[in-house]
Amino acid sequence: MKSLDPRVNRLPRVGEEGHPQPKAPLDQFGTFEVFVRPRPDKPFQHEGIVHAPDRELAFVLAKEAFTRRFQCTELAVADTRHVLTSDMTDDDVSIYDKLPEPGTPEGAFMSYEIFHLYRRGKQHVHVGSVMARTPLEAMYEARKQFAPQWVVYNIWAIRTIDIRFTQPEERELWLTLPEKKFRDASDYKAGDKLRLFLEQTQHRKP
Amino acid sequence: MNETALKELLYKLADDKLIIGHRNSEWTGMGPLLEEDIAFSSMAQDKIGQSYALYQMLQGLGEQDPDIVAFMRNADQFHNCIFAELPNGEYDFSLMRHFLFDTAEAIRFDMLTRSAYSPLAELSIKIRAELRYHTLHANTWIKKLGTATEESITRLQTALNEALPYALGIFEESPYEEEIKDSGLFEGEKLLLERWMEQVEQILKDTHLKLPDWSNLKPVTGGRVGRHSEHLQPLLDEMSEVFRSDPGAEW
Repeated sequence: MKSLDPRVNRLPRVGEEGHPQPKAPLDQFGTFEVFVRPRPDKPFQHEGIVHAPDRELAFVLAKEAFTRRFQCTELAVADTRHVLTSDMTDDDVSIYDKLPEPGTPEGAFMSYEIFHLYRRGKQHVHVGSVMARTPLEAMYEARKQFAPQWVVYNIWAIRTIDIRFTQPEERELWLTLPEKKFRDASDYKAGDKLRLFLEQTQHRKP
Repeated sequence: MNETALKELLYKLADDKLIIGHRNSEWTGMGPLLEEDIAFSSMAQDKIGQSYALYQMLQGLGEQDPDIVAFMRNADQFHNCIFAELPNGEYDFSLMRHFLFDTAEAIRFDMLTRSAYSPLAELSIKIRAELRYHTLHANTWIKKLGTATEESITRLQTALNEALPYALGIFEESPYEEEIKDSGLFEGEKLLLERWMEQVEQILKDTHLKLPDWSNLKPVTGGRVGRHSEHLQPLLDEMSEVFRSDPGAEW
């Protein structure tokens, strides 16, 4: 069946003989996770993803996609494949109570950035960095160092070197023209104008 | 300070931004990928916002309301360079124009932060910050596509060859060039051109793109004195269509 709807064309074919085939990749760029720091006294938080051919362009494209309207002091991006994520918990169960033992892994210590999910459906928030040999060890280390007061449902660990941070000289990117009310819906008093228009045209109704 | 020279300078700056902003906005909804569409559209909006700030400055000097100035003039009253008004073509040409034009804008508005006319110097600090993103965007794409595949390199090279004579038209001198320089309003087009050539060479050095010998290029000029290509008037007709249908309407 050939359809104009690409989702239909991606459905598995039914009733045909043949060997299993690898799933065809989508014809699009890979994704990068975008983290925004709205103010200097606030931590980075996850805002969403962008598609891009590489990390540098992901940074460039994320700037307009996520920091155009709202306050921002810093932006950071990481390839989605470099985000190591724990399992997810629910209710009052902290994921820190469910982590398997990290053992004593081999290899060199590296810096990892740790992100917590405190509420289901909200964004992951940056809590700090730790030195570890594996992502699991990094999460164990994070529990010791940051002793979270709230239930943590999910943890992300990303190697610091895998993150493209804003350089100090790039902070100027957010010092732009201030009078841009025309970008906000609040600048358009459409409701008032509509009411006025309706009042003026009321008597003309048949 | 020579007010005629100042106004001529401001009109040139503002018209460049309005016209390139409108052209680039024609990509909205048609960009090569969603994220790039958003970025390119946002930068187009920045440029139109910058032109608005400059037209407001002109209004303070006794010129007409920004909307009237933007929408009610004919092509021969615009001071933008011809480069800005050229049709978008394929994305390769638009991207190359964006790179060549915004490289010049970034240097120009950095120079203007030192203008003797303090309102312009202050505004230029903000505009320079916005342009910082525009050049980051342009340079990153040019470096990426200028080293990516045979097709991307060939297409950018063709776009570069087509664009360069028009790009040199950016630096067409004003009839008041000497007054503008002597009064400290702006350090002048010649110095801007020198710095622009250095910067363009610097960025393209990291790509497989080749610059021709500068001395073999003939700049396409005339825009600064109102002699435009056939492409400007249709752009103005489209841009001002709604405004002209009822110039007194309150939005």
